[in-house]
Amino acid sequence: MGMSDHRGHYRMRVAGAGDEAFHRDPAEVGPPQGRPPEVRVLAQTADDRAAGIQRYETSVEGWVFEVAVEDEPRALLREKAGQGAERGGPKGSDVIKAQIPGRVVRLWVEEGDTVEAGQRLLAIEAMKMENEVRAPHAGTVESIAVEPGSSVELRDELLRLA
Amino acid sequence: MTPPFRRLLVANRGEIAVRIFRTCRELGIETVAVYSDADADALHVRLADQAVRLGPSPATESYLRADAIVEAATASGAEAVHPGYGFLSEQSSFGAAVEAAGLVFVGPAPQTLASLGDKLEARATATAAGVPIVPGMFDPLPAGDDSSVARIEELAAGIGYPLLIKAAAGGGGRGMRRVDDPADLAAAVTAAARESEQAFGDGSVYLERLVEGGRHIEVQLLGDSVGNVVALGERDCSTQRRHQKLVEEAPAPGLTQAQREELHGLAVKVARQVGLRNAATAEFLYATDGSFYFLEVNARLQVEHGVTELVTGLDLVREQLLIAAGERLSPAVLGAAERAATPDRHAIELRISAEDPARDFMPAPGLVTRWREPAGPGVRMDSGLEQGWQVPGDYDPMLSKVLAVGPDRETVLARARRAVDEFETGGVQTTLPFHAWLLTHPEFTQGRLRTDMVARDWDPEPLRAAAAERAADAVARHIAGVEATPAGGPEPVGPCAHPAHGWKPEPWA
Repeated sequence: MGMSDHRGHYRMRVAGAGDEAFHRDPAEVGPPQGRPPEVRVLAQTADDRAAGIQRYETSVEGWVFEVAVEDEPRALLREKAGQGAERGGPKGSDVIKAQIPGRVVRLWVEEGDTVEAGQRLLAIEAMKMENEVRAPHAGTVESIAVEPGSSVELRDELLRLA
Repeated sequence: MTPPFRRLLVANRGEIAVRIFRTCRELGIETVAVYSDADADALHVRLADQAVRLGPSPATESYLRADAIVEAATASGAEAVHPGYGFLSEQSSFGAAVEAAGLVFVGPAPQTLASLGDKLEARATATAAGVPIVPGMFDPLPAGDDSSVARIEELAAGIGYPLLIKAAAGGGGRGMRRVDDPADLAAAVTAAARESEQAFGDGSVYLERLVEGGRHIEVQLLGDSVGNVVALGERDCSTQRRHQKLVEEAPAPGLTQAQREELHGLAVKVARQVGLRNAATAEFLYATDGSFYFLEVNARLQVEHGVTELVTGLDLVREQLLIAAGERLSPAVLGAAERAATPDRHAIELRISAEDPARDFMPAPGLVTRWREPAGPGVRMDSGLEQGWQVPGDYDPMLSKVLAVGPDRETVLARARRAVDEFETGGVQTTLPFHAWLLTHPEFTQGRLRTDMVARDWDPEPLRAAAAERAADAVARHIAGVEATPAGGPEPVGPCAHPAHGWKPEPWA
């Protein structure tokens, strides 16, 4: 099964509804039964941002649900890369590691550059999507382990921030 | 009208403090709130003219500190103290302390509270008034040592199984145990006594026959200081779990006028026997054979007083304040009492608590991120919070009450269903899903109420699972809507279009 079959599909985890994931293709979800439930977009945490997860809150018949959503290609990629990739960004660490396997397509910094927290460092393309890696804190780029075109696996070292 | 008091302190929090302040404001009475640290920003504090801090969040260091409350009342220049329900409301020592400070206690006389607070004494009082009680004991069981086990078993055999062990100082189901098998009796007595000791500081328990399949019906009473006592109709409170009420309605479905007259008469007899002043409620068990058994008197304003207000048109807090100021029962009260057995309206109350009905109604405190209350014809909301409120874990989890009124039960149930559907909440799980289910339950909608119905029929998992599917659909629909928004259009939200996401999607075919 090619991953491209899942384009436009989302995987959702509904808090408290067990481990089972809900799969939805927004283009194929029919109209609501009656009044559509209110959907609220929750603020993204740094971990969720790194993992490509957006959370929503909605309530149906008084049941309050938090729904964590990621797109299906990314979810499959994450699964392929193994457990534990979803969470735990490189914050606080001096070694910036790949959170997603793919190919380095851009490099915005050079060794010796001073960067601010949140500044773009490089971009990894996976599933034809660019994943920007940003500085978790201010510092100096001590070393860079990759160059544009490099293939990286999950948790490979990308660069070091001093 | 001259206000009955210039200034009044409410020794309570949450929705009931808000409820009492509303009447005070209508009567021109200045209001004083008290609060714990957890409630510094609470709605009841902000709705009062002034507020006095009692102490840290635990109730034992704040709302249960009679000394601090009396001091707050004196210091703030209050003339009267309304205790609300729960906390110190039925402690005779609190009423006595308020009166000793030269203030008016809005409630029954302290000696009445003392005699009604003990269930065994209340049973004796009812019997003296000629009111039937559930067959059982008038004295506490002997302490559960080896020598008394035989005596306890003998007493139990005399009453018959199944039976209930009850705490003499009890309330809210604590210290209560059902026993079906004599072999379990001794252990259950020990457990009930321990629970009662922990909850009430009094381990006295007694035995009563268990009346199965019955309904819990209570009568609203008002009395003045010259001995007039009236009944203002009954409320059916059968929808409970673990002896905690979830829903109340008035009048009790299916009673005849003659039954209502009989029941109200029994309640008035008990109230006269204790010389009731101010507001109280007499609780009865309505057995399947049609007989009423007196259970106890709650000598305070009840959580569910609002359904009686909606049916009678009275403001019970107003009547309480007038009675406390020494006035006789008002013509409005006497008129409502005359019509009590022939009500021409119906009302229901749904208790909305921060509890997860899928997890055995476990308390679910937290931040209320969304709170939009229902309103409109025939709907009344009594709430103690607003959106953005952090529900503390220190107190009873009840947040709010949805009340609905109408000309008949069918209209009222439709209104209640509409109100539940309109209610939008987020951040904390509430008991709303339970109410949504109950209001479509065939037995409930037909008025066939039983105290054991919830335990028997409430099965949340399939309901929650179906709702989770609809939640996933709703989120998918939301994402589809966002994706359909043209570039540069409003609200760039959703996982694929959110700039905070840090990655760019391909244009998906």
